[in-house]
Amino acid sequence: MATAGKVIKCKAAVAWEPNKPLVMEDIEVSPPEANMVRIKIVATGVCHTDLYHLYEGMGEDDFPAVLGHEGAGIVESVGPGVTEFQPGDKVIPLIIPQCKECRFCKSPKTNQCEKGWDGGDDVNALAVSRLTCKGKKVLQFMGTSTFSEYTVVNQMAVAKIDPAAPLDKVCLLGCGITTGYGAAVNTAKVEPGSTCAAFGLGAVGLAAVMGCKAAGAKRIIAVDINPEKFEKAKVFGATDFVNPKDHSKPISQVLSEMTDGGVDFSLECVGNVGVMCSALESCVKGWGVSVIVGWTDLHDVAARPLQLIAGRTWKGSLFGGFKSKDGVPQMVKAYLDKKVKVDEFITHNMTLDQVNDAIELMKQGKCIRTVLSVSQQ
Amino acid sequence: MATEGKVIRCRAAVAWEAGKPLVMEEVEVAPPKSGEVRLKIAATGICHTDSYTLSGSDPEGVFPVVLGHEGAGIVESIGEGVTKFQKGDTVIPLYIPQCGKSLFHFMGCSTFSEYTVVAEISLAKVDHMAPLDKVCLLGCGITTGYGAAVNTAKVEAGSTCAVFGLGALGLAAIMGCQAAGAARIIGVDLNPDKFKTAQEFGATEVVNPKDHSRPIQEVLVEMTDGGVDYSFECVGNVAIMRAALEACHKGWGTSVIIGVAAAGQEISTRPFQLVTGRTWKGTAFGGYKSVESVPKLVEEYMKKKLKVDEFVTHTLPFEKITEGFDLMHAGKCIRVVLQF
Repeated sequence: MATAGKVIKCKAAVAWEPNKPLVMEDIEVSPPEANMVRIKIVATGVCHTDLYHLYEGMGEDDFPAVLGHEGAGIVESVGPGVTEFQPGDKVIPLIIPQCKECRFCKSPKTNQCEKGWDGGDDVNALAVSRLTCKGKKVLQFMGTSTFSEYTVVNQMAVAKIDPAAPLDKVCLLGCGITTGYGAAVNTAKVEPGSTCAAFGLGAVGLAAVMGCKAAGAKRIIAVDINPEKFEKAKVFGATDFVNPKDHSKPISQVLSEMTDGGVDFSLECVGNVGVMCSALESCVKGWGVSVIVGWTDLHDVAARPLQLIAGRTWKGSLFGGFKSKDGVPQMVKAYLDKKVKVDEFITHNMTLDQVNDAIELMKQGKCIRTVLSVSQQ
Repeated sequence: MATEGKVIRCRAAVAWEAGKPLVMEEVEVAPPKSGEVRLKIAATGICHTDSYTLSGSDPEGVFPVVLGHEGAGIVESIGEGVTKFQKGDTVIPLYIPQCGKSLFHFMGCSTFSEYTVVAEISLAKVDHMAPLDKVCLLGCGITTGYGAAVNTAKVEAGSTCAVFGLGALGLAAIMGCQAAGAARIIGVDLNPDKFKTAQEFGATEVVNPKDHSRPIQEVLVEMTDGGVDYSFECVGNVAIMRAALEACHKGWGTSVIIGVAAAGQEISTRPFQLVTGRTWKGTAFGGYKSVESVPKLVEEYMKKKLKVDEFVTHTLPFEKITEGFDLMHAGKCIRVVLQF
């Protein structure tokens, strides 16, 4: 492309400081160095973790940043040494890499490549950004930055997807749907005929419901304090619907009574430590498994040890336990084969410059997923 | 026996109230009702959980009570409808029954008594050649620790394990890790007197948290290039439970809580620890289905595949039960066996 080898000036939504609206700015995106890929982002979702960073996490060192991590686009150019990708490839940037060499990539038990953003030997570290604005380095959120017309990502964190895939749909497989679906299928390993509960019916919770159904669960109890969320949960396969606000008893007791002792699998898709404990306690003794899917790092989670001694297992999951580079193309294919729903998650369509409206919708719980159109394909 | 069908008067160590020493009393033990078995206890271990209940820390502990749950004996008589046992059988009472139904009982063995009555579903028949003053310990501590490694954690060959707390439970966990083929077993305790025995049971290294200013989980993570594959909490302290989890390796580490913590206490950690791939589990009675498993463990011992004798550091007559508790509280024993 004509832009290859040159700095690209383009539009991005920049988060200059915590707790403030994003600002549409002109930014500079450097050409890809060795092993890097420069991507034109075509579409992006807005995920609650973007809001968490802006409004809750608010790390001092984490601003200014270009947020957004649930995107899809087209390769514009590649750096030296990149053979896997070429300009024109349809791709999804990955929130965790898959280097295929480290002992985590080699282990079948985990997807948490040690080149990840959570503090390992981090090729996508927040500190190593390829974006600048008004002369300042702007950090790349989770190594991706999809609220930008262009971004640069290490090839071990880019997945090549089927050229037939519609980017304004499959962008959502870059986080929420894959995260929830995989938590049920890979991390909890939901079994056919089992009873499950999903706490929180945002995109991640709905995807978890979808995963439980795909795994053959007989009963899927959808739990949310907002009853408007139940209708969509039904679309994804939920069989029962419980609003904790309708009961004076603790939710774990309500679920335990509904299920003769507790559910076989529970998934916490909110990111609230109180709900995490309730989700654990809602599991049946002896074999119940509870998976923490929602993200928070503000408080500790706590429970009585007797809950575990009685036979419950407590786990957590990142990106649905999928090895990222292998898993995302599989999910795209599953979507194209109509085995995995994506379209049904989209409640709103906007453009990148309306990102603050999209954020507002999510803050008010009035959307599942808004897809922002970022650039023309 | 002449006692069949009659009330038996015998000695028992009664806990009249929480926090007070046991009192040797004469008790009446009623004949077994339908589905029950009356047995003469030959020997019993003293387990820390007895001490925990005696202290009043157990919310389910009611008084007065005859404690003890790690015993072995001979069937004296059976109640109506009991077909699986007869007079003279060698048995171990089980504090977790195996009835085939989804019930959950707590203790209910009362082995600090010359005679006791237990439900048929809470009793295991074992090899009559087994020495009762040894295999009584399979009624709790050894089975619990060994099973935690072999059944609950499912320790894999070649893995790295850490065992926090080197009492009977921890030693049994070490034994289980070794049986499962662990390559490294790190024993952790504040009392260096425990280290030699731990190494005899299979610990490859020992660590005393007091020797380090950093938190023990950081020390272990550094020793093991990222953390252990399996950790076991064999103390009953929620801060140690947290350390045991956080000492586990990202991505796949599994921590098993075995020790019993005081009522109302909570375990806690950053959700991040679980989200980055650690698993938190717990276990009771080593995950063994009791009735079918205890006899097999007795067989393993008889074939010298399972250590039991090495756990017995003191043997005392039943009357000296309080001395047995004192030894345990002073950390000066592994297992005291009381003989009747």
